[in-house]
Amino acid sequence: MGLQCCFGGTTIQTLKLASIPYRNCSTSSSLRSSAAISRRLTLFKTLSTSLSRNSAHRFPFLIRALSSAAASAQPVVDSTPTASVDYFVKPQWKAAIDFKSILENKSALAENLKNRNSNANLELVIELYENLLQLQKEVEDLRYERNIVANKMKGKVEPTERQRLIEEGKNLKEKLLILEEDLVKLTDALQKEAQCIPNMTHPDVPIGGEDSSIIRKTVGTPREFTFPIKDHVQLGKELDLFDFDAAAEVSGSKFYYLKNEAVLLEMGLINWTLSEVMKKGFVPLTTPEIARSLVVEKCGFQPRGDNTQVYSIEGSDQCLIGTAEIPVGGIHMDSILADSALPLKYVAFSHCFRTEAGAAGAATRGLYRVHQFSKVEMFILCRPEESNTYHQELIEIEEDLFSKLGLHFKTLDMATGDLGAPAYRKYDIEAWMPGLGRYGEISSASNCTDYQSRRLGIRFRPESGMNPGNAKKGKGRNLTPPEFVHTLNATACAVPRMIVCLLENYQQDDGTVVVPEPLRPFMGGIEVISHKLK
Amino acid sequence: MGLQCCFGGTTIQTLKLASIPYRNCSTSSSLRSSAAISRRLTLFKTLSTSLSRNSAHRFPFLIRALSSAAASAQPVVDSTPTASVDYFVKPQWKAAIDFKSILENKSALAENLKNRNSNANLELVIELYENLLQLQKEVEDLRYERNTVANKMKGKVEPIERQRLIEEGKNLKEKLLILEEDLVKLTDALQKEAQCIPNMTHPDVPIGGEDSSIIRKTVGTPREFTFPIKDHVQLGKELDLFDFDAAAEVSGSKFYYLKNEAVLLEMGLINWTLSEVMKKGFVPLTTPEIARSLVVEKCGFQPRGDNTQVYSIEGSDQCLIGTAEIPVGGIHMDSILADSALPLKYVAFSHCFRTEAGAAGAATRGLYRVHQFSKVEMFILCRPEESNTYHQELIEIEEDLFSKLGLHFKTLDMATGDLGAPAYRKYDIEAWMPGLGRYGEISSASNCTDYQSRRLGIRFRPESGMNPGNAKKGKGRNLVPPEFVHTLNATACAVPRMIVCLLENYQQEDGTVVVPEPLRPFMGGIEVISHKLK
Repeated sequence: MGLQCCFGGTTIQTLKLASIPYRNCSTSSSLRSSAAISRRLTLFKTLSTSLSRNSAHRFPFLIRALSSAAASAQPVVDSTPTASVDYFVKPQWKAAIDFKSILENKSALAENLKNRNSNANLELVIELYENLLQLQKEVEDLRYERNIVANKMKGKVEPTERQRLIEEGKNLKEKLLILEEDLVKLTDALQKEAQCIPNMTHPDVPIGGEDSSIIRKTVGTPREFTFPIKDHVQLGKELDLFDFDAAAEVSGSKFYYLKNEAVLLEMGLINWTLSEVMKKGFVPLTTPEIARSLVVEKCGFQPRGDNTQVYSIEGSDQCLIGTAEIPVGGIHMDSILADSALPLKYVAFSHCFRTEAGAAGAATRGLYRVHQFSKVEMFILCRPEESNTYHQELIEIEEDLFSKLGLHFKTLDMATGDLGAPAYRKYDIEAWMPGLGRYGEISSASNCTDYQSRRLGIRFRPESGMNPGNAKKGKGRNLTPPEFVHTLNATACAVPRMIVCLLENYQQDDGTVVVPEPLRPFMGGIEVISHKLK
Repeated sequence: MGLQCCFGGTTIQTLKLASIPYRNCSTSSSLRSSAAISRRLTLFKTLSTSLSRNSAHRFPFLIRALSSAAASAQPVVDSTPTASVDYFVKPQWKAAIDFKSILENKSALAENLKNRNSNANLELVIELYENLLQLQKEVEDLRYERNTVANKMKGKVEPIERQRLIEEGKNLKEKLLILEEDLVKLTDALQKEAQCIPNMTHPDVPIGGEDSSIIRKTVGTPREFTFPIKDHVQLGKELDLFDFDAAAEVSGSKFYYLKNEAVLLEMGLINWTLSEVMKKGFVPLTTPEIARSLVVEKCGFQPRGDNTQVYSIEGSDQCLIGTAEIPVGGIHMDSILADSALPLKYVAFSHCFRTEAGAAGAATRGLYRVHQFSKVEMFILCRPEESNTYHQELIEIEEDLFSKLGLHFKTLDMATGDLGAPAYRKYDIEAWMPGLGRYGEISSASNCTDYQSRRLGIRFRPESGMNPGNAKKGKGRNLVPPEFVHTLNATACAVPRMIVCLLENYQQEDGTVVVPEPLRPFMGGIEVISHKLK
């Protein structure tokens, strides 16, 4: 999912926090259509001088980048672009985007954008990048020219000639200053546009909308009930397991208190899941639940805007995390890991907070869609060539966990239209919720390849063990250039949806609920959730 | 603690979330000194007409309340007080403050304010209350007069007389409207001032600053080490238990990741504490961690202002909770409980979030003072006559828990100067932290009597079983007037400070740390926290 969130209602019941970087994607709204841009660029080329007075519609660095010949031939009238810079909000951080690869794989990228319903503007990115290359060259040329002039003045020079050289040097310096400023702005605009390009897609991913997703595996069958069943809301009410009404008063709608055995069920689920996943070699973590907006963005989420899923802290640049993926993704931010440290496998417990903006219309009864929940999340950082294998490992761990809890579920290989920008491939698990009478998403496992690591700046230095010739060079071995790691994330246990599943699937004729065996040792041995004596 | 936070640095290491309602306490800064007020009131009385033009310094409803004779004798020049209303920000909610008792116990209250270093303005409260009574009487008189006029017009009346009566009625109606408006404003101003008055104090509480607190009990002795000891920060670093550096980048300073056995220690502490406290008949809860500012205020905390401990959510009236006391206090907000339902004993697990504004200078190394932490909190709602007994029960549960974990600690009966506004009495527990080389607060148990319940509107209807004559009246029994419950809160386990204690007290010469026996079954049987193989 991702962009679809804004255009259709079908995917908003996803458990995966919406990653909607599309709001970043407007250098200016009038620049969105590439047809409009070409038109404007042409205008700029021909009318640069007159346009430079029309401040409401000018993009000074574009003018200069594209009309540098004109710019060097005549003094630039307006060299104070501060007013018009406002059009281009400077990106606060830079993703290490591989522009060369974008140029080289233009048609594959265009196809990918189409398949993923992305509104990233590939034409504009390429145009801006080519402008950048040209401008870089001009800057280099000017620098070279200025050096020549400077060198000429080192020797003996006639006074008139010296005066001319001084004038020329001054002139060149001014031009250079302007072009260097343009270079910065162009780099920013390019960065902003390019950040909207989603990850590439695994070749096996089905192309299309959510309906095109393929069932990878089905486990179990829906339980057949010999009595009229209840949904989790009714069960919870009768067994005194939650309080939505008090929470609505104290906090707002879609908040809740868990009560009695529901608290033990939450703790049991968390502890059992942690212990199971730790057995597979994952390092347990608890994380900050407040993170800088910057880190949230670098993970591919959009912390600002009307439709954001993210709660912001007043008077700061911090947000509440919507998933532990954010703080765990950030734990190795801006660092170069040792090859031997990889793979890094984490299993993190955190509370998650989501505004659920735009979800008002969706079926939101009970615990299915709430503002705050506990979640155990797996996260892997690995070498690029290993990420597909670890993606399989993650989905198998999920399938194993949910099988052990006796759930009936299916694993889906999600179609292109349902992938968030960071995901190269995503498996969702949907479990049968008899009370709700439908399958509901309970987990999601994504391979983000280098999308997040290029933003978070997480690299590793490969051991060049493969190349014995190189290995002999001793010190030289350390000079292997660092590469970006691949990151993967997967839900191990999203507590409230798991509680929905367990209550609805394990209910009995008398209204009590059986606790699945694996959880009992983590719940003080409780076997059945019964009615309370009042 | 409470007001002291702002005036001295000694008490800010408290675990108890600062409850500083003093910012509410300014109807206007110039009204703070009661001397200034008397002066102004006198001015108003004598110069009311001329002052009504001096809008920068007038308080119209005070003028009217105190010079109503003048007001009824002459038409009020300015009946549009909207401009000056700004002085008096309307309180968003009303506490059911017992003004009669304030009048009756004036000298005891004044003494209490002095002992607690409160800057609440008792004189002003009484003055405003007396004005309110007077104004209420005037309004009643006017209503009576208007009714008399209206009745006179019902019979046969001469046309001239009728005209006179109509004029008089109109005149009275206008005066009434103005006075009724004043009544609302005066009620608001009174409410605002009166909300600053702290709870009364238990007679056994020592009077004075923090140094005057009395040791109620001491358990154990500081462990004697035969080797050079480390603090928890060093132990945690060597055993790979936390990451403060990454958290500083991702979230900010004073955030942290727990890692490896520290995660198990946290989960073990929570689960063990919950199970121990549940054995005593407490109902387990998990709570919303986002609450409306209103509820935060009603619990006696100050969610706004420069020095607030509370994180606010941008673009909403919601905050992050600093303690589960807030959502648990709110769970029965605005309700009348059955006598038979009391006492209600809850044990709530939540994450807590605090800005720690103003704590920059305090010793803040490591886990001792952090922005986010896990806490298990006990909360009791009970009949007024039982609250002292339950306060003892709460402190005994705390002492029992920390004794079982083998800690050396002392329990303090906190002096008046160290009590927050809601507390009638507060016991703190300070445990020995050998690495830090000092005692540090690990828990706090407060009896808030009816301070919070009068704000949150939590009452109960006493069974009149004591009065057999009444009981026979059948239906009449239901008419026993509701009373406010008493509320108590107490920390069962504040995880990070407990981790500080456990690591520092249970360290061994080889740098490993022994896990206290009660926690082992909750940590998969782990007995020792050892160094990791890299």
